[in-house]
Amino acid sequence: MSGLALPTAYSSSSSAINKASEPLKDDERLDGEGEVLSRVPNKAISSVPEITSVQGLVPTLQNIVATVNLECRLDLKTIALHARNAEYNPKRFAAVVMRIRDPKTTALIFASGKMVVTGAKSEDDSRLASRKYARIIQKLGFDAKFAEFKIQNIVGSCDVKFPIRLEGLAFSHGAFSSYEPELFPGLIYRMMKPKVVLLIFVSGKIVLTGAKVREEIYMAFNQIYSVLVEFRKEA
Amino acid sequence: MSGGQSYYEFYRGSSIGTALTDALDELITQGDIPPQLAMRVLQQFDKSLTECLQKGVKNKTTVKGHLATYRLCDDVWTFVIKDPQFKMEGVGAGAETVTAPKIKIVACKSGDAPEGKKSGAKSNDFS
Repeated sequence: MSGLALPTAYSSSSSAINKASEPLKDDERLDGEGEVLSRVPNKAISSVPEITSVQGLVPTLQNIVATVNLECRLDLKTIALHARNAEYNPKRFAAVVMRIRDPKTTALIFASGKMVVTGAKSEDDSRLASRKYARIIQKLGFDAKFAEFKIQNIVGSCDVKFPIRLEGLAFSHGAFSSYEPELFPGLIYRMMKPKVVLLIFVSGKIVLTGAKVREEIYMAFNQIYSVLVEFRKEA
Repeated sequence: MSGGQSYYEFYRGSSIGTALTDALDELITQGDIPPQLAMRVLQQFDKSLTECLQKGVKNKTTVKGHLATYRLCDDVWTFVIKDPQFKMEGVGAGAETVTAPKIKIVACKSGDAPEGKKSGAKSNDFS
């Protein structure tokens, strides 16, 4: 048989097309999901601290952003070409955007080996997801480590279930508050201790952000709750 | 490539493309045509099929399914879709539904319309 039988024998097109044109395989080898992360020992730090609640209300964690250093230069094109669920468009953004389904997260992977993992709902999930991404990179043949894992931001939310007089709150807590309904319908409350920013809405829904540990979210909520009761809007 | 403009070669992997390749292969083996001619024919095939799909095909179809994996690299999107359902637009017998266990969609930037997308679909096990 001459080489003609193989359609790719003539192919001079870009490697992404060649890769994309490969037939479907049932099991591609690069799938970090469901993987036992054996190469990096699991420190198994459970982070379920004591919850201090007021009125039985506890803020729900909505997003955790963490950074990791893989301590290894990465060829992003190789990653984009071989990993699943990866996007790499260097004209628009200098990182590979990769997603996994469990824990449902998104990672930004930079050529320097630094990585940002977002979307996790708990510290443990954030760490687990970061390890899974590191494992995926390792499986692609890079000597990726798992160093300097750090949670950079925690976002929580809560509903106090009563309406709030934002003007009154803004007036009496002027040093911390910024309320400009023409710009944004919520009141921005910059708490100093703990250093957390709160978005307070008329509806009684609260978003808390800027915390490094979940206790700061809980602490901030407990502190603001007593203030909110004071500015409860009577229907 | 011929005429200065180059065309994607992925339609060579379609059933009509492999049939053409096989036929050319046979002609070369029998010594009926030189390999250069076969190359030229395949280049024309790339061009013709691209133009046909751009200009000739007016039918529409919608695909629904579970997106198993996706990838974007070098302006090529790849989607692997599990249990897709293709609903062909049309009336009566034309409006048929085709299913498959798994398909792969490869979408590339079209040469003459930088923002537009042209795609070549490959599938396994059409039922």
